[in-house]
Amino acid sequence: MKEFWDSALLEPLATVGTRIVQFLPNLLAAFVILAVGWPLAWALGRGVERGLRMLGVDHLADRIGLNAVLTRGGLKPDPCHFIGRTLYWGLLVLTIIASLGALDVTPINQFAASLLSYIPHLITAGMILIAGLFLSNFVARATLITAVNANFRPATTAAGLAKWGVLLVALAMALEQLGIARNIVVVGFGIVFGGVVLALALAFGLGATNLAKEFLERQFGKSGARAKDDLTHL
Amino acid sequence: MEQDAASVILQERTAAQVREIAQADILVGIPSFNNAATIGHVVKAVIAGLAKYFPDQRAILVNSDGGSTDGTTEAVASASVDLGPMLITDRQSLLHRIITPYPGIPGKGSAFRTVFEVARRLNVKACAVVDADVRSITPEWIELLLQPVLNEGFDYVAPYYLRHKYDGTITNSIVYPLTRALYGVQIRQPIGGDFGFSGKLVGHYVDKHVWESDVARFGIDIWMTTEAVALGARVCQSFLGAKIHDPKDPAADLSAMLTQVMGAVFALMEEHHRVWPFIQGSNPVPLFGFQYEVGVEPVNVNVDRMIASFRQGLADLRPIWEVMLAPETLQALAATEGTPAHGFHISDELWAKTVFDCAAAFHRRVLNREHLIKAMTALYLGRTASFVVETQGLTTREAEDCIERLGTVFERLKPYLLDRWGAAEEASP
Repeated sequence: MKEFWDSALLEPLATVGTRIVQFLPNLLAAFVILAVGWPLAWALGRGVERGLRMLGVDHLADRIGLNAVLTRGGLKPDPCHFIGRTLYWGLLVLTIIASLGALDVTPINQFAASLLSYIPHLITAGMILIAGLFLSNFVARATLITAVNANFRPATTAAGLAKWGVLLVALAMALEQLGIARNIVVVGFGIVFGGVVLALALAFGLGATNLAKEFLERQFGKSGARAKDDLTHL
Repeated sequence: MEQDAASVILQERTAAQVREIAQADILVGIPSFNNAATIGHVVKAVIAGLAKYFPDQRAILVNSDGGSTDGTTEAVASASVDLGPMLITDRQSLLHRIITPYPGIPGKGSAFRTVFEVARRLNVKACAVVDADVRSITPEWIELLLQPVLNEGFDYVAPYYLRHKYDGTITNSIVYPLTRALYGVQIRQPIGGDFGFSGKLVGHYVDKHVWESDVARFGIDIWMTTEAVALGARVCQSFLGAKIHDPKDPAADLSAMLTQVMGAVFALMEEHHRVWPFIQGSNPVPLFGFQYEVGVEPVNVNVDRMIASFRQGLADLRPIWEVMLAPETLQALAATEGTPAHGFHISDELWAKTVFDCAAAFHRRVLNREHLIKAMTALYLGRTASFVVETQGLTTREAEDCIERLGTVFERLKPYLLDRWGAAEEASP
């Protein structure tokens, strides 16, 4: 009976106990990494932010037009804060991964490794989205100004479509980079983009015949209205 | 080093021609690109002008061509004048003609660079440039553009044309008053296109490193004028009568035109920011030539279309204008909303502040610069419509008084520009 208790209950308990004791240093290491890494990430983020502010990067960004670009990109015009926060989050993610790695548990190690290998994709996708955001604003503004200068009435609609077109492309590229439902993204984008183009063509062809006629006549100098305006600007 | 630079600016054949000629007193340059229909007349006027007024001077005619395919260069080579009927009997010096393609970026600026380089190598005393599409040029233009340099010691001769009150509205509403307020000289046609200048100024132009920039493409006219006044060169004007040139599509991409001119004007403001802030008021510039009245062709203007463009800008471009303009300026512009066409009015003060706001915004790079200037198109059309409404019943002379008044308003409000510009400077470390 005693043998039974020893083999059936105490031995597994002893094994578990040994494993727990063996695991404790790893847990402690993970905790220490997290406990040191998190405040360090926060301090570094803050320090870099303050250092950049002291170096006058805010003024420089204002001078070279970066703040204006950030504002138009829908972001807070504070590049020092942006850089500081990006650094903080980057370091925090690395700390968490290092902390998980210190646990030395196979499934968690695999998860940490896959998370680590996923980071470049995340960064690339983020950069694609930010670039897409800026590009979409630039394209939208260029479209708006050109359309207004051409007396194209639905100028804001055209600018909005241009903006969302670029954003859609950027979003599709970012999702493709992240490997999320790759085929669905490509097909979905194709359907949406094709649909938008078809809708535009139909709307312009059916609903704006006169507008198109007027526009083309103006381009090729056959408009009667244009002939009445002899103003020379230079 | 000079040899290297020269081999880039001039083709070997042209350089050899210049070496053979060795020296000249005066040079007339004609930039061209597909101007076969008009350039023959221009060359004839130049030949007659040189024969009549400068018979004893060693003269060169340079046609700097941008690769015409319509026989422009052939027209230049074959143009000749029978001087007898023109009562020109003086013994003539040989007139050399140099017909050369220009290298570099396509544009009037690159064409001028070649002309300047030839002028410098020939060590000319005076130089003139005339457009290849001018139909109203006469031999007297050559005298009026060169004589002030040769006999009166001026360095730069700007043209003074008689134009319809609605001809040259960018010049009238922006370039003239702004140049006058900035640099203190009342040059009425700063971007006229036909100029005279001294050999000394030619050297200055060639030495400037602007030939890879936008100046090489466009904006050469305002660049030449501004450089001359900023340099403190002696400047005068010559009365050339009416300017009639090949008709251009009046609304042929107005915003591109504005981009060219205003981009150059604003960029030059930045380049000469140590000169213009200290100039107050303005001085008249000597005007040579016999002034007379000429009938100018009537100009049809579609005011409603211009007002509609301005109002569409007010509705659609407001977020962009908010970035470019001071809040009070935008508010005042927005107050024109709902005004009937016959009462549509943008005052001189408001217009001057609008232009100054745009200049400061350009300087501060609050927007992509091309977008900023293109977004000025609707503003400019609004002001032009206002000017047309205001001057509808006036003669060209009376309308000219309105333009002069606008010039004084720009001068009076210059402290506003300095404030806006200075605020921008303070904002940068």
